[in-house]
Amino acid sequence: MVYLMKRFNAKLFFSFSNCQSVFLSGLLLMLAISTVTVSGAAMARDIPPDPLNSIMWTSMAERFMPEGEIVFDDRVKVMAPFSAEDQFHVPVTVDASQLDNVEKIIIVADLNPIPLVMNMRPVKALSYIGFRLKLQQTSPIHVGVKTTDGVWHVGYAVIDAAGGGCTAPAAAHGNADWMRTLGQTRAIASRTDNSSARMTMRMRHPMDTGLAVGIPAFYLNELEVKNSAGELVASLELFEPVSENPTFTLRPQVGIEADTLSVSTRDTEGNLVDFALSIPAASDS
Amino acid sequence: MSRRLHSPTTRLSAAPLSRSRRKALQWFALGCGCAMCGSVNARLLDFDLQAVEIASKTWAVLGRSEGFEQDNGGNIVNVAFIEAPDGVIVIDTGPSKRYGDALRQLIEKTIPGKPILRVYNTHHHPDHFLGNQSFDASVIAAPQKVIDNIALEGNDMTDNLYRLLGDWMRGTLPVAPTLSMDADKENVGGKQFSLYYLSGHTSSDFVIRDDDTGVVFSGDLAFLYRAPTTPHADIAVWHQSLDTLKNIDKSLLLPGHGPHDKKGEAIEQTKDYIDWLHGSISESVSQGLTMNEAMLLPIPKRFQGLGVVRDEYVRSVVHLYPSLEDELFPVIEINQ
Repeated sequence: MVYLMKRFNAKLFFSFSNCQSVFLSGLLLMLAISTVTVSGAAMARDIPPDPLNSIMWTSMAERFMPEGEIVFDDRVKVMAPFSAEDQFHVPVTVDASQLDNVEKIIIVADLNPIPLVMNMRPVKALSYIGFRLKLQQTSPIHVGVKTTDGVWHVGYAVIDAAGGGCTAPAAAHGNADWMRTLGQTRAIASRTDNSSARMTMRMRHPMDTGLAVGIPAFYLNELEVKNSAGELVASLELFEPVSENPTFTLRPQVGIEADTLSVSTRDTEGNLVDFALSIPAASDS
Repeated sequence: MSRRLHSPTTRLSAAPLSRSRRKALQWFALGCGCAMCGSVNARLLDFDLQAVEIASKTWAVLGRSEGFEQDNGGNIVNVAFIEAPDGVIVIDTGPSKRYGDALRQLIEKTIPGKPILRVYNTHHHPDHFLGNQSFDASVIAAPQKVIDNIALEGNDMTDNLYRLLGDWMRGTLPVAPTLSMDADKENVGGKQFSLYYLSGHTSSDFVIRDDDTGVVFSGDLAFLYRAPTTPHADIAVWHQSLDTLKNIDKSLLLPGHGPHDKKGEAIEQTKDYIDWLHGSISESVSQGLTMNEAMLLPIPKRFQGLGVVRDEYVRSVVHLYPSLEDELFPVIEINQ
């Protein structure tokens, strides 16, 4: 019943906001006709209603997709299970590789106490990221993919979950020795075809959210991949909801020659971990 | 419908306890798995349990080959009871107090006036022991490891079943067995049982053989026409335990889920499935597929007849991926 009420309210809210926006757009049009430059257009943009009716959607859009048109777009594929088997490690794969000119990808879990999960910039990589996140409760996931024309293309999923993913201590804290393996990394990389590769890495890190009693926030917050020419392949800005022992799958774009990818990471305590991954030449694979 | 989440007090558990707590939180049921989208059910919450006589003075109560759902109230598990000269022996007690009470009534109806002398719990999964409350705790027996697992994870598993099954769970509390078993044989009420201490489906799987009838109660080491579950599985150990189980002389096997089996199908099917599962998921990990990509892969035709196989496969991807990543990805030299 409570859930239905929420949906109902959300619908009311959206219809209200639509009316308001139509009114404001009309007003702006009039202003534009009277030769005033439309510098305030961003404030008056029409945030489309969320197909999931998330009660937090407008807030998420305003906070994390602050400027530019927003469109829901099927080309932003968000793969997630209906139900989180493990609320500490909920697998999500985002594939927006059908979109061209992608500038950045932001991922939010609307109902997490800390909603922002990641901000990824695929530069010489497919607009694709596989990762795992913690969920505090059943939540919509919204993925905003910003293209260079300033438009946010949004995809979504909803994941049912048992409670507590963000506020329980990391498993690492069950072991007094956890710091000895901090930063230990396992990874594989392989060539997919003449122009792309796939790398998966898993690093030991507690990814403390700061919301478990007595344990301050401590998480990997930067990850950068470069190719052997020193060009940026992708950069990831990471936040508290990324799962413990963060695991990422990326699809770098490579030439037909062998290449070596340099991965560099930094956590919130300034610990730096760098490593290299080889991609074989197209003729060798 | 209430959605009961974990109480704030359990969330404050101290760090050293966190691992077990997390493990328990991970024990998440399948299917739609969301109480909020289940249909509102106006009918009485009644299991209508039936006893099937599978051998002389041996009855099975067969659950549906499904996951935990509001529609089945958690009646997805097999339990059994046996009449001995002096009383009754019960094997597993079902998912809730409501089920346990219904089971007691069914036993009383089937074998009137005989005392319950022994209740065995095969392992610590909630569908197998949460009916314990309906029985005298002093006769409930299991290996010490099962008792420990219930002590560690019982509360959180119970909370999760409340979340999934709602009112079906009313009044249910986890009750651990009080008798720690380690003997190879036990005589109860004039009947002899052989006891086997195996593992693999969980860290402790207790197998009971009735030495009079030769019926073997395998718990969840064996499934039949219902996909095996893996939240606490060690596949290699499970495989070995199935070999052991195969070599136990038996007239009949009652699997934890699915029909009773005279032909040895349950052991073979379970072994085939877990071996495929391990091989398939290892292959996905080696290819660098994400869990989501692995979840979409086809399941071989020979497993299509297993109940809820897609749901269980998807769950197993989540259960088995992390340890296989640690096993199959090489450690990379890092600069710190």
